[in-house]
Amino acid sequence: MIGQQLAGNLVNGFVLGGVYGMATMGLSLIFGVLKIVNVGHGAFIMVGAFITLWMFSSLGMSPVFALPVALITGMALGFLIFSTVLRRLIKAPELASLLATFAIGMLLEEIAKNLFGTEFRGYNWETGKLVLPMTVLPMSKIYAFAGSVAITVLMYFWFKKTRAGTAVRSVVEDSDGAQVCGVNVSWVYALSFAIGIGLTVLSGVLLTMFIPVGINPYMGGSYTLKAFVVAVLGGLASPYGAFFAGLAFGLIENGSYTVFAALPGVEPFALTRFISFVMLLVILLIKPTGLLGAK
Amino acid sequence: MKAKHTKYLPLLPVSCAYFILFLIGKNVAGMWQLMAMLAFYCALGQAFNIFIGMTGYVDFGYVAFLGVGTYGMALSVSRLAGFPNLGLGVVVIGLILSFVMAGALSVAVGAVALRLRGAYFAIATVGVNEGFRYLIEGARIWGGAEGIIFSGQLTETLGRDTASSLSTFWADVMVMIVAVIAAVITVGYMRGRVGYALTALREDEDAAKVMGINVTKYKIIAFITSASLAGLLGACAWALKVMYVFPPEAFQIQYTIEAIIIVVLGGAGTLLGPVVGGLIYGLSKYWLAVVMPGFQLLIFAPIVIFIVVAFPEGVVGWVKRRAKGTAIQSYLL
Repeated sequence: MIGQQLAGNLVNGFVLGGVYGMATMGLSLIFGVLKIVNVGHGAFIMVGAFITLWMFSSLGMSPVFALPVALITGMALGFLIFSTVLRRLIKAPELASLLATFAIGMLLEEIAKNLFGTEFRGYNWETGKLVLPMTVLPMSKIYAFAGSVAITVLMYFWFKKTRAGTAVRSVVEDSDGAQVCGVNVSWVYALSFAIGIGLTVLSGVLLTMFIPVGINPYMGGSYTLKAFVVAVLGGLASPYGAFFAGLAFGLIENGSYTVFAALPGVEPFALTRFISFVMLLVILLIKPTGLLGAK
Repeated sequence: MKAKHTKYLPLLPVSCAYFILFLIGKNVAGMWQLMAMLAFYCALGQAFNIFIGMTGYVDFGYVAFLGVGTYGMALSVSRLAGFPNLGLGVVVIGLILSFVMAGALSVAVGAVALRLRGAYFAIATVGVNEGFRYLIEGARIWGGAEGIIFSGQLTETLGRDTASSLSTFWADVMVMIVAVIAAVITVGYMRGRVGYALTALREDEDAAKVMGINVTKYKIIAFITSASLAGLLGACAWALKVMYVFPPEAFQIQYTIEAIIIVVLGGAGTLLGPVVGGLIYGLSKYWLAVVMPGFQLLIFAPIVIFIVVAFPEGVVGWVKRRAKGTAIQSYLL
């Protein structure tokens, strides 16, 4: 009985984990290139979720169409934020960029609050179900997972095979060296930030498949924490390390939920969230460069 | 090197500010609540500044220490209610417990997080608040998600009149006292070994290490001090005022946000900054809540972004730079 429950939750965790991984790639990319931690990360996920909700309920369009809209909106937002604020903070002490990204996240949340109110919303995208021996999965979750994998693969090839991707990698390696070799470093900063934010907003679209009624201006907070755990697990500066770390995190999160639910006298949901914090501290303590894929 | 007696001169404007708040509240009818709120914001900034201002590290989980302090007072009052002849002793024990519990949590968090540098430290602290709240709710510690309501026990132990004057007057006075203590400690640190070590760290952590400064030690000192004071604030400003504690309220990230705004606005790492920041923030929040409720953060978020980009030294930092070489200089720190 518990075995079947565990298997079912692990399948769910794997599927959700893929989306977690994709939702963290933007954070890792921005940290890798700009050495800036986007503390307002979750707020951009929230923007993606609201775009999906709005397109679905007001325009009657399927979330598939929300993907390009979210990516473009996110990239535009990224360019705007970079050119007005973060461009001036690249060489500033960490305190400045941490406070600035935090305040930007707060601003987005407050704008959303004033536009949409604070109640939890959701939408219902009928896509049929996939029946497995241990669990039943809505097809929408499978699509979200497939989307995450596809985006990660595309990002991988963009990184490894294109000129722009090579320029980005060179800046991650050594920004002064890249400058000397003729790479336009400030352009790489702007591009990476825009793509990072674009990916994050995009991931908000995919995440809505997992939260039937969980869209709210302040929903991002818990994803910021999860994204930090995943990013640190995958080696902060490694975007595709983040993807595999996301899978691992999804499995651990849902697996530990099943275990806690079997224990008497505890709240499994709250304890699961405590576990993600403990994981964060433990990984930072043993190996701050990440458990997966880093030297 | 400055003469000994001028060392504590900058405390004068700070203490005056709190004393004026106290006098206005005491003598002008209907002003006590507002003055108490302003004093709380100044005190919050003053305590937070000891860590964020002096080290340049951002602690996004700061409110957890206030939350734990609130629990310290709640536990003392509710668990010791049965003992006879304790009277106000429960409050004293509560204050000590709040101080110690917040300090202990900060040792636990600091032992892990303060080994990490800048950005990694900030990442580690983002979870502290949520993590601790969900530990209390999840493992059903201290009443779990239901929290502790202790207004009954407090009235029972102290009598109705004492309990009510404690919660409506003395709790706020204690907040002001904590604020002044925080200011004294700030001066002591800034003008002493801790301050010099932390200035070196803020400028260049590696260089400071090479010079033989035990940076981790001084970071931990600042972290524990700041956290323990937060514990006292939680006990006075929250536990004694509302007489219950409830995890979602005690660990509301809102207060970390407010503390950050206050410190940045006034000037991080200055003594007078939190007072100026606290007054500006408190008054404008109060005013905005009247003119356009619900918009406070929408207005403050861009202000923080603007200050960080264009004006990183804050109000007091700016004044301090302008006042260099004048008579005012010795009163500013």
